[in-house]
Parts: sequence; C-alpha cells; structure tokens
Amino acid sequence: MIRGGRNYVSSPPVFSNDSKRLLVCAGNSVAVFSTDTGLQVASLDGHAALVTAVIVVPASTPGSKILCFCWTASLDGTIRYWDFAVPEMIRSVDIKLPVHSMVIPSLFNHLVEKSEKAVKSFAYICVEAKEEAEDRAKGLFQVRKCNLTDARLVGGAVLAEMKKPEIITMSSCGELLGVRRKRKLDIWKVPSTDSGRTVLKKITLHHTKALTVIAFHPTERILAAGDATGRIMIWRGFGNKTFAMANGHVNGSSMITDEENPGVRGSDDAESCTTWHWHPAQVNLLSFSSDGAYLLSGGKEGVLVVWQVDTGKKKFLPRIGSPLLHFTDSPDPSFSSISCADNQIHLVRRPSMEILKSISGIKLPYSHPEISKGMSSGVSFDQNAGLVALRTESYAVQLYSLFDDRGISEVQVYERNHQPVDEVTIVVTSVVLSLDGSMLCTSEVRLPEDGLGHLVCLKFWFSKSKAGDFSLSTIVYEPHRDAGISAIVFHPNRRMAVSSSFGGDFKIWTSNSGVPMKEESQPNSGWICHAVGSYKKKPMTAAAFSPDGSVLAVAAETVITLWDPDKNLLVAVIGEAIMPIVALSFVGNSDHLVSASWGSKPQLAVWSLLNLSTCWSYRLHVEAIASSPDSSSFAALVLLSDSGGVYDPNEKSHKTVDGLILLFNSAEPNPVAVWSVKKAKGGALAFIRNQSSDEESSSDQQQAAQTLFAYMNADHEYVLFDPHGTEAEELSVTRWKSQSSPEESGQVGYASLYGELLPPIPSRKHTPWSVPSFPTERPWETIFSGPSHNLPPLTLLCGPFLEALFEKRTAVEE
Amino acid sequence: MVSTNIRDLLTAFSPSLDYFAISSGDGRVKIWDTLKGQVQTEFADIASTDVSLLSKAERGHLSVDYTCMKWITLDRKKKRKLGSSLLVLGTGSGDVLALDVAAGQPKWIVSDCHPGGATSISFSASESSVYTAGADGMVCKIDPQTGNLLGKFKASSKAISSMCVSPDGKILATAASQLKTFNCSDHRKIQKFSGHPGSVRCMIFTDDGKYILSASGERYVALWRTGSGKKQSVCVFAMEHPAVYLHAKCFEKGEADDNDGLYVLAISETGICYTWCGQNVEELRTAKPTKVSLSYDDKKHRGALPAIFAAQLQVIPKPTSANVYLAYGLLVKPSFQKVLVEAGNDVELSSFQDGVLFPASQSIKSKKGMDRVTALDRANVEDALLPVPKVSDVHVDLDSRSQAESLEFKDDMVDVETPTTSMETRLRQLRILPNDGDIIKPVIESLTSKGIQLEDNFPQKKIRASVLSMEPSNAYKLLETLVSIWQSRSHSGKSVLAWISWILVIHGHYIVAQEKSEKTQLLSTLLKTTKSREVAVQPLLQLSGRLQLVTAQFDKDSLKNNHVASPDDQVEDEDDDDDEDVDERIYGQEDDESDLSSDDEK
Repeated sequence: MIRGGRNYVSSPPVFSNDSKRLLVCAGNSVAVFSTDTGLQVASLDGHAALVTAVIVVPASTPGSKILCFCWTASLDGTIRYWDFAVPEMIRSVDIKLPVHSMVIPSLFNHLVEKSEKAVKSFAYICVEAKEEAEDRAKGLFQVRKCNLTDARLVGGAVLAEMKKPEIITMSSCGELLGVRRKRKLDIWKVPSTDSGRTVLKKITLHHTKALTVIAFHPTERILAAGDATGRIMIWRGFGNKTFAMANGHVNGSSMITDEENPGVRGSDDAESCTTWHWHPAQVNLLSFSSDGAYLLSGGKEGVLVVWQVDTGKKKFLPRIGSPLLHFTDSPDPSFSSISCADNQIHLVRRPSMEILKSISGIKLPYSHPEISKGMSSGVSFDQNAGLVALRTESYAVQLYSLFDDRGISEVQVYERNHQPVDEVTIVVTSVVLSLDGSMLCTSEVRLPEDGLGHLVCLKFWFSKSKAGDFSLSTIVYEPHRDAGISAIVFHPNRRMAVSSSFGGDFKIWTSNSGVPMKEESQPNSGWICHAVGSYKKKPMTAAAFSPDGSVLAVAAETVITLWDPDKNLLVAVIGEAIMPIVALSFVGNSDHLVSASWGSKPQLAVWSLLNLSTCWSYRLHVEAIASSPDSSSFAALVLLSDSGGVYDPNEKSHKTVDGLILLFNSAEPNPVAVWSVKKAKGGALAFIRNQSSDEESSSDQQQAAQTLFAYMNADHEYVLFDPHGTEAEELSVTRWKSQSSPEESGQVGYASLYGELLPPIPSRKHTPWSVPSFPTERPWETIFSGPSHNLPPLTLLCGPFLEALFEKRTAVEE
Repeated sequence: MVSTNIRDLLTAFSPSLDYFAISSGDGRVKIWDTLKGQVQTEFADIASTDVSLLSKAERGHLSVDYTCMKWITLDRKKKRKLGSSLLVLGTGSGDVLALDVAAGQPKWIVSDCHPGGATSISFSASESSVYTAGADGMVCKIDPQTGNLLGKFKASSKAISSMCVSPDGKILATAASQLKTFNCSDHRKIQKFSGHPGSVRCMIFTDDGKYILSASGERYVALWRTGSGKKQSVCVFAMEHPAVYLHAKCFEKGEADDNDGLYVLAISETGICYTWCGQNVEELRTAKPTKVSLSYDDKKHRGALPAIFAAQLQVIPKPTSANVYLAYGLLVKPSFQKVLVEAGNDVELSSFQDGVLFPASQSIKSKKGMDRVTALDRANVEDALLPVPKVSDVHVDLDSRSQAESLEFKDDMVDVETPTTSMETRLRQLRILPNDGDIIKPVIESLTSKGIQLEDNFPQKKIRASVLSMEPSNAYKLLETLVSIWQSRSHSGKSVLAWISWILVIHGHYIVAQEKSEKTQLLSTLLKTTKSREVAVQPLLQLSGRLQLVTAQFDKDSLKNNHVASPDDQVEDEDDDDDEDVDERIYGQEDDESDLSSDDEK
C-alpha cells in the first residue's frame, strides 16, 4: 500500500525551532522535510482527513530549541499534539467539528509561561458549525475558542461567524488575532492571561474591496492587508483607542488627538492607512520580516516583492514561475520558505533572495477551459515502470514516479513560456504514454482569439536512454482537419498509434513503418499517417487496441467498429449502445470489450467479441476504466450521482464519498470488490506492475502481488494497493468500504448502495445468443395460427404445446 | 588521453536504488538522485565541522579522506519508511561516521575507532549492527541507531584490508592477503583461506552465506566456500583488469535442488562490468564472462573516459539473464540505467554526448535542436500508406499485381540496354529461360563423385586417364551431359570441351556406332553449336588483336616494368568481354571461341 501525490501547499508550512526541519501539511498527514537536503525525513500519520494547520511549540529558551513538539488540526475534528522527532502522537483533542484554521496565542506569550506553570492553553479555531441542519445548509463557519488543556470547546464563545472558512492570522507575539470577512477585518486582542471567560476586545477595519490576506507587524501596531485587486493597505496605529482602554500599556505612539486620520474609513480605529499598489492581481501572501523593516508580498504573477516598510521601496524575486500561496519565516533569519501553486515549496535564503532547495510534489490539477467532451483526463500511466504522466499548468507534462513519490522529469509540450497571469491560449488536451513507456503522444488545442487561430496539434515524442526523458519526434498540425481529437491509443507492441476525432475519422500513425519496437535501428524516424478510416461519417469518440495489437476497436458514437490496423479493413461492427461511447478498453486475456458512455443514460457495458453482442451492462456513470493486462478483470471508477447514492445514516462523512471503484471479472456482472473513494470526478485508474516486490523478493515479502492497482483522485493524490489482498481493507484511500469476503459482501455493498439501479439482468446475460436458434423450434406460436378449421385436433396439439412450455421453462431456469 | 581508473572511487547505492552516493576521495560525498539523474545533495566538511569539538577544527574537506562507504537501511520491514537510511563512512584517520542522508546531517561519529584508518564497513541486516575493520587489525561492532560501540575484537595482527559479514550475521570474514572467517558471537576463528598474493580490496558474501567472493590486485575474482574445510578457492573468475567492485545474487533454479544458482558481477578498474552465471560451482568454473562496457568516441573525450562505477544485480528472471542496475558515465555526471544482461551477449552501452556542464534541462534543449523533427501539415493524409478501406479481397489484389509485374519483365526483355545478369536471372525466375542450373547441378555433383572435375586447369593427362578408364557406355552418357552442360553454359567452355574432345578421341567409335544405332542427334547438335559459335570467333579475334595492341601500348608507357601479360590470359580476358557482348545481343548463343581455341590446341 503506497500513497502519495499529496498537496504540500494546502496550508502554510512551519519551520521547527532549529530551522532544520520544515513541517508541511500533506493531505491526511504532516510531512517533515529536512531543510538541508529537501528530502522527507518523517511523517506524522494519524489524522483521518485533511490536516489544515500545524503549529510548532516555540522554544522559550535557547536550550529548548531541540524540542520538537507540534499541534495539528484537521478536518476530521481532532487537534493532536505530536513529538515530531520520534515521530509519535502524544495527545489528541476531539472537538467533533472540522477545523479549518487554528492559532494558539498562548504558546507565544512567553510571559505567561514563566509565571504560571499550569496555565491553560487556548486555541482559537475556525470550525464548521454543523449542529443544526439549517446552519449546515447555509454553510456557517465560526471562530471559536477551544480549551486544549481540558480538551473541550469553550461554550458560548463564538467570536465570529461567516460563510466561508477563513484563516485566522496571529501576530508574532500572540497578542492580536485577525480574521478577514470579505471587505472587513476583525481584530481581537488576546489578554495576556487568557481564560475561558475572558471577552476579547474587538475592532473592525473596513475596505472597499474583498480582502485576501492579513499580516501583523512584529513589534509595532501596524497591520497590512492585501485585497483581490492587488492593493496592499497598511494601517498604522490601529485599535489604539479600543485596546488602550482595555490594557494599560500601549506600545504604539501616543494617542492621536487630531481628527484627521488619513485614509482611514468611517469610524475605524486606526491612525492612518496607506495603500501600495504593485501587484496586478490578487495578493496571496503578506509577511513582515522578523525585525519589521520589510514587508514581503506575492500573488498570482509569481513575483516575490520586498517592500521597505518605512519608505515603500521595492525589491523583487521574479521568475518563480507559479502563483505564490504562502510565505513562512524560520527562526533562523536567513531562511524562509515560499509555497507555490504548482505544489512546490522553495527554500529561500533571505538577504540574497536565492532559492536554495525546492521540495516539489506532484503537479496539481488546474482549471482550464474544457475542450472536448471525451474522457481524456490528462493522466496516463506507464504500467511497467510505475510512472504517471500528468498535464501541468505550464503547458508541460510531468512524469511522476508512483513508487518513489517523486517527480522524474518534465516535458515542455508547448514551446512558449507560461506566465501565470497570462490568459490561457493553449490547452493540452491529452497525454498518452505507450505501454512500454518509450513513446509519448500529446495533443494540444490553441484556443481561437475572436474566432481565429483555432489549431489542433498532435505531437509524438520518443524517449531517449533514460526513462522520462523525451524529445520531440513529429508534430502533426491539424491531424483531423478542424476537428478535435477524442482519443489517442498506442499499439501495445509496435510503433503505431491511433487518433480518433470528433470529425468522423480516425487515423493510424506509424513510425519506422510499424516495425516491432525491439528492433530500433533509428528511434527518431518520423511518424506518418498510415491509414485513415471512418464509419458512416459518425464522430469517432473512443479507441482501443486489443492486448496483442491485432484488433483495433473504435467507437463511432454508439456503435463499436473493429478494424484490422495493418490492412485497415473493417472487420466487424458491434452495436448498439444507448448513448455515445466515451471510453473503450479490451479486457486482458478475455474476449470482452468494455465500453462506457455518458449522457442522460450513462452505461457501462461489456461486449463479447465472440458473438459480437452485449454480455451485460449497468446504468452507471463511469469516470475511468482500467483493465488488467494479464487477467480477465477490469475496474471501473463510478461516480455516485446525488440521487443514485443511498444515504447511509451511519456515516456522517458520507457526503464526501462521491465515487466507487468496482472491480469486475469480465464474465461476471457481479463486482468482485468495491471500494468507495472521494473526489472521484476527474480521477484515473490503472493496473501497475509491482516493482517493489521484485527488487526485494528475498526479503520479508513472500507473496507480493504481481500487479498493483493505482487510483488517482481529482487532486492527484494516489494510492497503490493490491486489489486482491487483504491489505486494502484495513487501510483506506479515504474510508474503504471493503468487505471481509469480497465475493459475497461485494454484492451486499453494491445492493445497499444501488437499490434503484438496473438489476444485473441475469436473464439477459444468458438468453440473447440462444434466441436465434431457439424460437424457431417453438411450435406453439405457429400451431395456433391460421383459421380454426385448419387446426389439427386438440389431442394432437396438446402434446407439442405442453412440450414447448416445458422447454421454455427449463431454458429460463438454467 | 587519460585512462580511467576507478580504483579509488567510493560508491554506494541506496538499498532501494533511488539514490547513489559517490565520493572520489576529496572528502566530498555527492548523492545523486537516480530517477532524475541530478545531484540531490553534496556533503562536504561534515567530519571537520563536527569533529571540531575535539580540537581538529578548520581542516577543510580536503583533509578528510574517506576510505570506505556503505549505505545501510535501519528497518527492513517498512522499506519505504523515511529517514531510516544511513550512509556510513570510514576515514583515513580512523573515524567512523554515519550520515542521515534524508536529514542531511551526521547522525553519529565514532572518533578514532581504528587508529591508522578504517578500511572496511559491513552491515548485517538481521542483527542490525555495523561492523568496521581498520588498519589496526581490530573489528568493531557498532549500533547503527546510536553509534555506540557494542564490541571489539582483534581479528588480525596485521592491517585488515577488507571485511564483510554474512547476511545472516553469523559469520564474519576479514582479509589482509589471507582470508579468515570468524564466528560473530564468540569471535572464534573458523577458517583460513589463502591464495591472494596481495591485500584483498573487495570482498562480499553471497546471499545464502555459503560463498565468499574476493578480489585483490590481481586480475581475477576468487570464490571460496565457507562451509567446507577446503582452503583453496573453489573457483576463479578471470578478468582483464583487477576488480574493484563485486556483487552477487543467488537465483532459484527449481524446487528439486536446494543449492541455488549464482550470478556474480564484478567491475574492473577500467570501468568494465563482468558478469558470470552458473547453476552450480562447476558451471561457474567454466562460465564465460559477459561484459557490459561503454562505447565512446576517442575524439570527443579529452579528459577522463566514461566508466561504469557501480552495478547492482536486481531481478534474475531467467537463469541466463539478469537485470543489472548500472551507474556509469563520467564522474561529474553519472547516468543510471537498468540493463538486461543475457549470458553470452556482451552489452555495449552508448555513451551519451550530453553537455556535461549544462543542467539537464538545458542539454535537452540543445539536443532538441539537433534532432530532426518531422512536421506534418493539414495534408498529412496524402502520405497515407494504405488507401481508405474498401471491402475487397486481398488475394485478388495480389494476383493482379503479380501479373503486372510479369508484364513488366517481358518489356524488360525487349529492352536491350538492361544489364544481362539481372535480366537473365529474372527471366530464369519467371521460367522464360529454362532454369538449367537447377537441373544440371545434381549431374555435376554426380560427375565430381565419379572423379570428373570440370575445372579449367584440370591436367590433360588426368582427363585422358579417367576417360580411358571409362566404359564406353558411361563415356557416351558423359558426353551427353557434357554437351548439355556446354549448351547451357553452366561451366566454362574450356574445361568442358577438353573432356568432350578426349571422349571423342578415345570413345569415338563407340559413339559413332551409338549414334547410328540409337539415331540420336548428339554429334550433329554438337556440330551445330560449334558452327554457330565459330561465326562469332572471327570478329572476336579481330577485336582481341586490337585490344592486344592497345594494351601493349599501355605497357610500354608504364615504364615497361610490368611484363606483358601472357597472350593466353589476354585472350581469355577478351573472351570474357566478348561473351558479355554476345549475351547482350542473342540469347542461346554460347561462347565458342574458347572451345575453338581449345580445339585448336588439340
């Protein structure tokens, strides 16, 4: 069981006290990286849902710098306390509400720790309030206070309520808390001796645009906030009136007597407000340097800007290449980290602003204009090497090793640099790796500007010596005239590929005139069009090669056409699905072909190639199909529609499960195994040949499975497991709804979830092929036809009639 | 040109082969990411910074000389567990230190563990302890978690050059020039092996612990059996250069035999990888090495030559082939590749020409420029090799095509200018010319079996003798075949005609009688063909005369050093030319000038 592909940039990372380690929220766990090497050192596993916050307990004295304790908060409703050096969990606080953000001011308030040793520590958390049904419908989020010592929420202390989960920002000494609420900022002052009862003083600052991020000055009473248009507001001396009254010592300048507070709106409690404007788009990060002399800001354009707070002068760190999300300072002033939207964390040396190391994860999915209605999810697996090829936002393809959970290389598909701010003009529509991983095919679409310049482009790449190192071999402009490409498949063992288009034809491309791959005399010979085929001018929506490469199946909307790829002859036609087919796959070493169609009547159908007809089918919306290369099983990722899923009252997190993986034996309509998964829309499936088993076959793994099953969800998190092993039951992608004995309870699980779906139709499975021969021999249909005076006597008719009835009954029963 | 010598190189693969550590003796250790082919981390100055507490500060990395390196993983159960792999290094000053590779910092240091220098490190996975040996002849046992010294014993009075522990952790082998095995628990000496004249550089146990492989400065690797009382090496693998790196892996050959087969890998000083495999020791003894080497262009590599640094046997799918994971190339930028080595087939890896000094992405870019990229435009279909499909039978197609071809051939026959040879063969193929060669071949074979050799310079006397010894009837049959051979021109006329003339001379009477009684036309056909060839002789002779004149002129010009070729040869040459001339014009006409000349001779 291998997991990986986690998102490292969902929440800001934290440095350990000695700056040697960086704690990164990665999915359901916290990954601990070494800042010296950029390698992962440890992992804090235990949370059942996304970890949203991690706070390292600061060292109060220089000697305690080696202490490695941290608090984490997660959407599973727990707050946990860890020793991340070992690593192990020390304590867990269950508050039963998903925590979206957490700060613990008392940790940073050194004065308190010295005075009282048994002080209660309070965390301020942003939780999803879901006690009442109407609240949940509105999606109400509250900022609340939690007593960590007693492990309970402080009753009645709801500081704020809002529609969206917001990050709570805390000043560096833990004195002030800030939360943005659209165009307002709420700021609280935390008393130095906090207790459950204390009512916090609050001020509100207003702005005309939606605010995105806040930062507090470490020493002075200065607040910086960024907004959605790229402006940065600096409020100085805020809350002097309100907070001063509550607390005697105000470290800011003395009370301002004059009424003129430049830039401050309405009756906001602040001395002045200035605005800096450099960012063209939304500001994502703001941070004061530890001495307070500089302010760092960054946004979508991927440039880190360093402002001198007093003068407003700027310095830049450009060409980071991706939108910036978070910035974290380390206790060591020469170090800091920047999290980027492409799932990379850069460690930056501060005064010189150079990137020392990068921690990079799998490229995250990104939003792009939807071009085709096909199923190409932009994910392709190399079954032998355990690689996955993914589209990235910067018009490239990332090759990622599933076993090692590391990126291997990136192939720049489109020759222009990607600028995060630019409008998207190119969409890489599909990425396909050949079976042995030596060839790559990509297709891209240049979006038309004012209806001009629409261009479809197909590119073939070949691999050089090293895995994942691809160079371009052939570019085909407009491979199917103006029509978009619906599917690309590679021949399993030859240099041949097929692209099918919505324009009603498919083309077979060959290189080296299709000689077997083994004899590579000249690997880089160009690809040419070998043949063109079409069927009744219907859009070709999917394609698949049989495992031996002798048959090519191309779906022409609702019918499946079978071709001889060498001679380009139409061999057979199988029909007819209800809706256009979006995916096809041959099932390993069986005579079956699986098709999936979308639309109003989605369908998963299995066709027999022997008698060219349907074996069985389900009315399911299938997101992905994968068939095992060497057995007769295949798996389908099924989306649960809202009406389709039967609500299970026992499972409180049921609504997050939106997909099922069904593992079928192609001959049987009953699934062999069922797993429920989250974020299935846009997911991908594959069978991967197990590498780890043969590397260390001599070691303790005696019966390692030959093929592993890979599931990658919409967020590019993936899991590898043995589909037939017991391992999958105890461990879960999100929450495995697995069964003790797969055969039996697989159906139970299915039935419980799919009460209203089409029944497995056992009768349909058996009868259709025998029908042509069978009904002609049934005499009783013809016996009674004709005028009654022609009928034989009843005594004669009775015998065959009854016989026919018997025959029919037995036929149905068998 | 600098020849590569990788003797002083320290290399280690991480247990899961995803990282590769290399140190070239300057106190720096580079960790390469084998997947990406990039440097992951570089460790310099580790020892000096942390030993500084012990007043050895500020020495710089150059003063640290690593002498041995071993990559170990602490817990084998969860091999993907992070932070559990250590790089254990021994220094020339006798320290042993462990680097936590993921964290990038030293985990522990044992200072002055081996006065005089540590020489060898070995790790026993089952016991989870590190053994080190040094120039002081001591063997130390260290806890890899903490760096605590667990035990120490004197294994030798002399310096130990190499040491290893068996995989089960029970036996320990040390070597100077003599190999000794010890029981790990009570440090009692078990065995002694001698045979290496020099100190052993590299020594390993096989997976099953039954054998030890060792290599010293000589050009062979020795295999020793641990269980037996034999003190000699069981088997010796010869190499062209001394081995510096060894690896071995057992493979199962079947259920019946509990002795597994063995696959042995060694890398020589010059960076060539040798592998041997055998089902048992006897087979290993006779096994020929399979080499994996790098091909390189002499001109392009001014500096060090690329070499194979390290290799790891991975899976052995079949007894004769193995997957080998190789680190090769130049020291500044090694490449990593998995190669399938089949016994008996030497592998030559192509050395890359990547710009070594560029980062990987840039070199790819520059290569892209050199590569030819095909671009197809909108009209890409016009190149389609196959027509748009139609429902037609393929066989019909083929037939019509072959007909078309035969028509073409007929056209060719009319065309005089085509080269004769090809036309003739093609005509033969198409059965337009009788394919005589096929028929006559067995005849000739039968002739040669009888002692008749249709060679040009077969002595006349021998021909005469053999013809004399023949029965007249046999001679007549021979005459028939010879005439047919001559007509078909499957042999040169000269030799055939010699036989014919001798047969006619000796068995003339019988043949005449035969001719009359059988009413065959043999002699008349012979006469006809001779006549028909005679016609061509006159112009040929004229031509040859002229050519003779011309060649004589040439010879005179060329300093008269060369003798004028003997007229005989010349005539023959010209005959050949003329033959071709004739062939071009008329088919079925034979070369007769030679037979005439030979006739004339008689």
